[in-house]
Amino acid sequence: MHETFPDARTGRLSLAKRARPVEAAIRGLLSVSAAISVLTTLGIVVTLGTESWGFFREVGILEFLGSLEWQPVIGDFGIWPLFNATLTTSFYAMLVALPLGLMVAIYLAEYASDRVRETLKPVLEVLAGIPTVVYGYFALATVTPFLRSLLGTELVGVYNTFSAGIVMGILILPLVSSMCEDALSAVPRSLREGAYAMGATKLEVATQVVVPAAFSGLAAAFILGLSRAVGETMIVALAAGAGPKFTLNPFEPAETMTGHIVRISGGDISYDSIDYRSLFAIALVLFLVTLALNSLSRRIVAKHGEVYE
Amino acid sequence: MKKSLAILLLALVAATASAQAKYPWVAKVSDDPDKLLPGVDPAKATGAIVTAGSSTVYPVSEYIAEIFKEDGFTGQVSIDSIGSGAGFERFAKTGETDIANASAPMPASSYEAAKAIGRSPIEFRIGTDALAVVVSKKNTFAKDVTQAELALLFSSAVNWSDVRPSWPKMPVKRYSPGTDSGTFSYFVEHLFKKDKAKLLGAKNLQLSEDDNVLVRGVEADQYAIGYFGFAYYLENRSRLNVLKIDGVEASAATVDAGTYPLARPLFLYSDAKIINEKPQVAAFLTYYLSNVDEALEAVGYFPAPDAEIKAAKRKLLEAMKGRY
Repeated sequence: MHETFPDARTGRLSLAKRARPVEAAIRGLLSVSAAISVLTTLGIVVTLGTESWGFFREVGILEFLGSLEWQPVIGDFGIWPLFNATLTTSFYAMLVALPLGLMVAIYLAEYASDRVRETLKPVLEVLAGIPTVVYGYFALATVTPFLRSLLGTELVGVYNTFSAGIVMGILILPLVSSMCEDALSAVPRSLREGAYAMGATKLEVATQVVVPAAFSGLAAAFILGLSRAVGETMIVALAAGAGPKFTLNPFEPAETMTGHIVRISGGDISYDSIDYRSLFAIALVLFLVTLALNSLSRRIVAKHGEVYE
Repeated sequence: MKKSLAILLLALVAATASAQAKYPWVAKVSDDPDKLLPGVDPAKATGAIVTAGSSTVYPVSEYIAEIFKEDGFTGQVSIDSIGSGAGFERFAKTGETDIANASAPMPASSYEAAKAIGRSPIEFRIGTDALAVVVSKKNTFAKDVTQAELALLFSSAVNWSDVRPSWPKMPVKRYSPGTDSGTFSYFVEHLFKKDKAKLLGAKNLQLSEDDNVLVRGVEADQYAIGYFGFAYYLENRSRLNVLKIDGVEASAATVDAGTYPLARPLFLYSDAKIINEKPQVAAFLTYYLSNVDEALEAVGYFPAPDAEIKAAKRKLLEAMKGRY
């Protein structure tokens, strides 16, 4: 009678027994894709580990962390000039991306009408789609000359970490703002309505109710933005400078970790040299920094993330 | 049995004949002003030519490759501008290239590495480059330096006034080619007796393999100073001032006379086995040495001394013996 459900005749309904080859194939394909990304990460970790092991056996972690000079050719292997430059550029990037991103997100989530939001969001996403090399030349050929004419050529270098940082901030602005907006939109209406019922103004609701309620998501957005800034390469390689230098002055040139790797690995050094292995040690530091930042952001979300029903 | 022996013999004869066979590209009319080298018809050479090395030699090789193709060569000529040191590495250690371009003589270590992979490098002197020491057009005070002052400027001096009291008390901003370029090696060897630490320990130092990064940095800052191959100065002469060294300005006359202190030889390196196994490389080198003066002039370098270029041609003839 019901030929579509042959099991019905026996009185027992079993979904498990039927062989589903297509399903199995798709399942296999999906797990292979997952395995590929995991294996790639593992491969990177192993390569970084073994190559930096070779480096640390020759140089020693004390010098690596204890010296303020980085010039591999003459045996100076102190990571701090590069690390400091990465910190400087990332700091100025976040100085741009965090407040702007948060404000954009508050506007989009709380104030903007649907129509405005529908037009503004794609525009922001266009920013994220611009190739970073374009940002790099924007920093070098537009922002830096502007800064130099504004603040004086004696103060601002042709290559400087400040303009690279500012432009990097613009680059990660869409990332930060869209994650912040997601976090703000996830705050339930009932919280807002409760606040309005207490007589709060729109601004008070936004800044004193919604933003604190979305804190964990905002923190995660900020940290992910930071880890993107730490790893960004093209902008700093073009605009921040090409010599390792320990300086706190953002208007001086200084080379970041990523910038140094990209300059030195440009086909110029022997694969068999300590200079080459030093690049892996830098990459390991980069990897650890971004790993720490990403797990910190996960932890914040897990710990402080409030679940609204 | 007899038949197979005969075939073997025939094959052997054929093999030796092909090893001795004339290069297909040999042409009647030679471009060589010294009339030493055979003529080249690039259209009859096939295959790829792989070269890598000095960024200083790069524009010369590029020029030669360009006219080589215009004259009918249809294969690929790749010229990687990666610095002399890396060029030696690819030629002598990994054996990836047919020709190494260099702005400094090949070190003994590379000769040894080459031996290990069955290559014995032959050096061809192709010309001379002068190093240009440059400042920005905005720099109104520096017109000339002595070599001793130059050494100070690129090492311990903090301010310009530390070098010459009449110069402003402003920090010296230094721009140098990267540590693996032949230009860097030459500069360090010449001014600091190979002590790289002196230059690398200097404050406000920017290093780049990309000469345009240096040009851009020096151009915009009146207290910047940089150095690189003379050709890059000529290309950017509207943006930069060149300094006299010990009172001598770089020019064909002063380089030829040997009075300009910062002149250095340019080389190609290849190997007899490659030249014999790859006719296109032999064709390219023959063409290169025949037309090098035109290329040097177009790029802004200076010809090698007559005896040197003739010696290079004789070495090439020796390597190609019996095949033209």
